[in-house]
Amino acid sequence: MRFIIKNSSTGCERVGMLTEFLKMTSAVIETPTATLLTQGGSVVHLTAEVLSKVCPNPHLLWVPLSNSVHLEHGLKAQGEGIAKFAGLQNYFTCVTLQNMNETTPSGHFENDRVPLWTKHGKKMLTADRYMDLMEVFKPDIILAIADGRTSLAEGSKRILKSIERTGNMLDLCVKRYKESKELQSSCLVVILGGVAISGLTDGSEEFSMDHLQPLGEIFKRVGDAIPKELLHVVEGCWNPAVILTAVECGWDLFDGSYAVKLTNLGQALTLNFDVTNDIDNPYLLDLIDECYKDQFVPILDGCECLACKKHTRAYIRHLLNTREMLASVLLSIHNLYHFDQMFYHARQHIVSNTFNVYKAHIIKQYESYKNVQKSESTDSDNQTPQIKKSRVNKEVSDTYTNSNYST
Amino acid sequence: MALTFTVQAECGMTKARAGLMKLPHCDVRTPVFMPVGTQGTMKGLLPDQLLALDCEIILGNTYHLGNRPGTQVLEKAGGLHKFMGWNKSLLTDSGGFQMVSLLKLAEITEEGVKFKSPYDGSEIMLTPEKSIEIQNCIGADIIMQLDDVVQTTFQDYDRIKEATERTSRWLDRCLKAHKRPEEQSIFPIVQGLLNSELRRKSAEDHMTKNVNGFAIGGLSGGEAKDDFWPMVSLGTEVLDRNRPRYLMGVGLAIDLVVCVALGVDMFDCVFPTRTARFGCALVNKGQLNLRHKKYLTDLNPIDKDCTCSTCKNYTRAYLHCIVSVETVACHLISVHNIAYQMRLMRTMRQNIINGTFVQFVKTFMKEVYPDLNYPNWIINSLQSVGINILD
Ligand SMILES: [Zn+2]
Ligand SMILES: [Zn+2]
Repeated sequence: MRFIIKNSSTGCERVGMLTEFLKMTSAVIETPTATLLTQGGSVVHLTAEVLSKVCPNPHLLWVPLSNSVHLEHGLKAQGEGIAKFAGLQNYFTCVTLQNMNETTPSGHFENDRVPLWTKHGKKMLTADRYMDLMEVFKPDIILAIADGRTSLAEGSKRILKSIERTGNMLDLCVKRYKESKELQSSCLVVILGGVAISGLTDGSEEFSMDHLQPLGEIFKRVGDAIPKELLHVVEGCWNPAVILTAVECGWDLFDGSYAVKLTNLGQALTLNFDVTNDIDNPYLLDLIDECYKDQFVPILDGCECLACKKHTRAYIRHLLNTREMLASVLLSIHNLYHFDQMFYHARQHIVSNTFNVYKAHIIKQYESYKNVQKSESTDSDNQTPQIKKSRVNKEVSDTYTNSNYST
Repeated sequence: MALTFTVQAECGMTKARAGLMKLPHCDVRTPVFMPVGTQGTMKGLLPDQLLALDCEIILGNTYHLGNRPGTQVLEKAGGLHKFMGWNKSLLTDSGGFQMVSLLKLAEITEEGVKFKSPYDGSEIMLTPEKSIEIQNCIGADIIMQLDDVVQTTFQDYDRIKEATERTSRWLDRCLKAHKRPEEQSIFPIVQGLLNSELRRKSAEDHMTKNVNGFAIGGLSGGEAKDDFWPMVSLGTEVLDRNRPRYLMGVGLAIDLVVCVALGVDMFDCVFPTRTARFGCALVNKGQLNLRHKKYLTDLNPIDKDCTCSTCKNYTRAYLHCIVSVETVACHLISVHNIAYQMRLMRTMRQNIINGTFVQFVKTFMKEVYPDLNYPNWIINSLQSVGINILD
């Protein structure tokens, strides 16, 4: 795989492309972009059949070992790597440790091993074991193993230790990578093909406007410190405001877990991408809310996704209210498509040298959403939908109760 | 016309027939299996996926839909078809079965089914008129009369007789309350449990009514198979050949094959999608429980002869890894299970048209029972329509 910078504007932001993948040399993935988060190798809530309708173009899949390490036996038996095994042979994969929208416990680190938090508990991984797994998963991009689950609030002692440990494990990864015949079709990120930022989050934070500035500084400094021509990857469950701040500092690839997080909360992202149109935009819809029960309009007017073309807010709200699985499918379809569109417009604006306008336009929507939230309640994002859910589930329709029917 | 039914081919030996049922939303080829989408959705599948699976008619549950989203929302949406984005045909049940089976406190009187709301404990009365009112609002192509439901294994003759006769009286009330006869067909339900005299009377009563098709109810409720099939056979014998016959709640492959031979045209069952949720995939020999360890490294598809999108893309080994962990596993197995039911029905239909149905039944039974150790009910039921599988 190769990373090529196509356009850069007057700032640091750039449009690039990932291409020359060994298994499909003609495929091109334009950056900045987000990967599609997988669980157990499948894009969350979507079968290969549905995914092919939603994302027919080449995409990168983000494969955290935390939810897929149990595929090892099957993968070994089949011997063709994770994309093929998960029925997604036309997609490219990027394997890493943890799912960024899950909070992991702190601590539990040892000198040469880091914990992997799976459904079946903690598994300690050495760099060697990690690279063994890579030989089985055969990803297109390997994110080198890192002691990267540190929150923004971490003390300096812990951070120094994590840097030292990550460096040692990286040396081992590089050694294994160079020796391994199996891995020559993969690309090791951090050294050979690019650099990744890890360790800005342990998954527990809810990022707010206050974080934009310090995060922006980190993106800027690290971005400046590494060679421009390398792919810049940053992991974390970032909202659009943080992502566009990183894009502005020249970061290319994001993990896309934010779209999945919204889906799992019953929310749909509804950004207005048109910088010439200053309509008051909701930023996102909390579709479990009763106010949507008879809104027979798409999630987002004009959205070209499958969910918006065929289904209404009222139907999705009904599916959420009855806890039907199709709710997550439709929300995934919209959120993935819409997230993709956000990057598409970012690339357009980079090419035409208007990225700063676009970024300000999106951040403004995020800001006003956060302000409304703040004034509504002091609850965290995570709690609000659950509280609403329990309220809505008690609701009864008037089909039977309101009727005065008698014979 | 809300429904026209044409018999296109008959088996010649058995009572099996291939038909075409024209409904307001689409034509349905029979014999047909109707997957159950209880709450206006089919277990995580998009309507487009159901179309790709060749589904022409699916079921919705009146009781559930009446609760959520409720008739007010459905009415504003312009009916369930529009609400869920499904342009093909729909059938709804009456809601009575759900109430009696889900709610222990249901009390049945001549007026209707009285039950306590599971939501707020208030008393609610579902009358035949109310059931039709809700079903008129949902707007399915075929709707069901409210029937007096008694547990299939119930023994008290007086109660069974009362329920059977009340079902006929309620049918009249349903037909009278029906507001959209040009767009929706009410099917009466033949009752009488396992009493052939009552069941015959029930079917004969319904035959005199101006209806477009019939349902056979009150079976598949835990009764012995030896008691089950004669009731089906009696139903198809009394009900006339020019209208479709729907056997409620039956969906196991072996039962489908026998009952098609006995002359049934339509079936529904939650089993294929329910069993998918527990990781069970349907094959001719029964089902594969994909949670089983033996599939850990099995690189075969669920069924190598199946053309569904799951069998094309996924191995048993992969499904084993994600089953009961990821929602995707449930979607994938549901797709295969519905594809399996559709394929079985299409195969039977094609064999009836080709005049090879008897041979099909024999081959199918041999595949399911390779040791030729057939249960008696299968031997007897098939014997009753002229197939000797011991040949
Ligand atoms: Zn959309
Ligand atoms: Zn299949």
